Amino acid sequence: MVQKKICMLGGFAVGKTSLVRRFVSGIFSEKYLTTVGVKIDQRTVTAKGKELLLVLWDLYGDDDYQKVRASYLQGSSGYILVIDGTRKETIDVAIRLHEFTTATLGPIPFVLLLNKYDLEDEWAVDLPMVSDLGQKACLVSTVSAKTGEGVEAAFAALAEAMTSS
Amino acid sequence: MPDSIHEHALFSAFDALIFQKTAGQFECLGGLPSWFPPSGVLQGPEGTPEKLLEVSFFLQHFLRDVGPWWESNKVGQMKSGLWSETAIFGEDVILEATAVYQGGQRYLVLQRFGSDMLPVQPLLQKAREEQLSHRASIHLHERTEARLGTQLAKSEQERDDLLAVLDGLRLGTIMTDANGVVTFLSGKAQELLQVDSAKVLGCTLPAGLGWKGEYTNRIEEMGKVTEAGRQPISVVVERKKRPSVSLEVDVHDDPRGSRKKILFLKDVTEVEELRRQLTGPTQFHRLIGKSPAMRAVYERIRDIATVDVSVLIQGETGTGKELVARALHDFSLRKDRPFVAVNCAGLTESLLGSQLFGHKRGAFTGAVQDHEGFFEAADGGTLFLDEIGDMPLPIQTTLLRVLQEGEIIRLGESRPRVVNVRVLAATNQDLPSLVESGRFRSDLLYRIRVARLQLPPLRERREDIPLLSLAFLEKARVIIGKIGVRDIAQTAMQCFLRYSWPGNVRELKGALDYALIHCRSNSILPDDLPPEFRELSPSIGSLSGPGVRDQRQEILEALKHVNGRRAQAAKLLNMSRSTFYRRMRELSIPMDDQSS
Repeated sequence: MVQKKICMLGGFAVGKTSLVRRFVSGIFSEKYLTTVGVKIDQRTVTAKGKELLLVLWDLYGDDDYQKVRASYLQGSSGYILVIDGTRKETIDVAIRLHEFTTATLGPIPFVLLLNKYDLEDEWAVDLPMVSDLGQKACLVSTVSAKTGEGVEAAFAALAEAMTSS
Repeated sequence: MPDSIHEHALFSAFDALIFQKTAGQFECLGGLPSWFPPSGVLQGPEGTPEKLLEVSFFLQHFLRDVGPWWESNKVGQMKSGLWSETAIFGEDVILEATAVYQGGQRYLVLQRFGSDMLPVQPLLQKAREEQLSHRASIHLHERTEARLGTQLAKSEQERDDLLAVLDGLRLGTIMTDANGVVTFLSGKAQELLQVDSAKVLGCTLPAGLGWKGEYTNRIEEMGKVTEAGRQPISVVVERKKRPSVSLEVDVHDDPRGSRKKILFLKDVTEVEELRRQLTGPTQFHRLIGKSPAMRAVYERIRDIATVDVSVLIQGETGTGKELVARALHDFSLRKDRPFVAVNCAGLTESLLGSQLFGHKRGAFTGAVQDHEGFFEAADGGTLFLDEIGDMPLPIQTTLLRVLQEGEIIRLGESRPRVVNVRVLAATNQDLPSLVESGRFRSDLLYRIRVARLQLPPLRERREDIPLLSLAFLEKARVIIGKIGVRDIAQTAMQCFLRYSWPGNVRELKGALDYALIHCRSNSILPDDLPPEFRELSPSIGSLSGPGVRDQRQEILEALKHVNGRRAQAAKLLNMSRSTFYRRMRELSIPMDDQSS
């Protein structure tokens, strides 16, 4: 079975670990527990009729305390860039991580997810705000790790894109 | 102690898994660390340390990266960074791998993120949670600010809309706080009061607006009563270089606190002007008319009312001479004293003398007790002598003396009594002609016409006829009991306008009463009018023809109807007694003939 390494990238507390847990285990926890280093999970999916083992590298959130190491990115076939839809400042982190990843690996498929779409009342990000970044992504989508809305479709879209590339 | 024993003890002391790579194979050196063997997939006989290198995705990835570096034979080390192995160990175990090239040997060291590093994670967690909490606070603050901003904008919009509505309704608005200090002044209020809000805000009403104390006192007093009991306050505001403005000020409690007030200023200048036009020129006292002739009369009354002199009122019969006399009295300084009206026509000399000056008991046959005359009755006030041209000469002489001396002597008495009476006289006759013919004393004429007032006949002020007609109709329809009759048809009004009105306003009133009695619809029609209007054959000045014959017959029938009582007959015909007597003389009806 073909393995594909996927990195989960984004600022801290944007919901990377929650998205992986939703995708791999179908569960969600309200409790926030910061990720230290890297956590690896995997799930098999079918893309274009082929089975793929997605190895999900859930990287710690990038901030002033922890910077993503280039070594973690090596070997990735694609990545998921996560923005917290209730925090506009996470857009800047996503843009910086995208530039870092592209500089490290060259252009590879990625999807741009605006997470926490269940928090409609606190929503602070409009699609036009991420239009520049979104044009480079193979998918831009609002998702909710809490409700699961859009999560499967996002990973499926990236799997499709990685299979094609 | 052999070197190998020393190395084993040394490696075991690190509490780490240390591998040496030789000939492509990894060999574990030293003892196993305390965190190994784990309870996960490496449990059992297959759970060797080397097995870990085969099942860990992370380590496989790291060893692929390290391979080329090791081959470069550079002395040093390369760290993997932290990673978490949950599935393999059955619990969350955080590890870090270090590749070492030293002394020509390749080593791989695996260390657990253990107790020595434990404080780092909680610190990181706390730092991030605080950052999130701080961010949440900022976000909440921003959202609250945005919500308040939206609410403020909405409130301002609503306020602007409300003010626009109030301005559109020509309502000015002033708000005052509990201390009576102005806190708000709408644009319309500034326009009405011709003030700048910057100069008024923060001031009390008297200080800011310069209003008279009586206005602000009334506003203050009105604010103390319950809202239901409050009445609008009329305020006239004098403005620089602009006409004054009449306002009605409504005082309302602020819904947020009754000590705060909201004043609504309603511009009623136009209404006041219309009211003034209606009540001013069209009516004066009980006189009705807006014609230039009547306006001149009103002006004349105003001019002479307060001057305490005798006045001669001249005018045709039915022009309202007594109403003028009453107006003169009511506008004079004597208005609170008696007004006594006497008709000098139709009374014998002795009776008139007795009526005017009084008599003593026994002064003449029938004088059974002392009698106070009209002069005494009117003391301090006004005596109106109507039809003074018909006054017998001896009475004229007495009257002249009374006017000159200010004293009267009752018949049968010799003691003069001081009286303070203003005399107003009226006549429809040409007194100078009477003087020439010796029927009126010239000195009395000069004495009573110190001031003169000429009343116009109705035919000379025809524009007043509709106004008079409607005014009489309004009263008469209630008295006669024909409430449903509300107006006069244009055709009937045309008859009124074409008629010559020899009997003037009194005749008009009588004609309306007649028409009202005969009216069977809601509107007076030409058929309802007396015959002379339908024929439209005025007989003014002429004592011949059918009009005269009808009038003579009318008077005779009236006298017959009331058994010869002339006062009642005059009333029946809606004539004054003086006119009735004069008509009797003009139509040659004997005073003692009451039936033929």
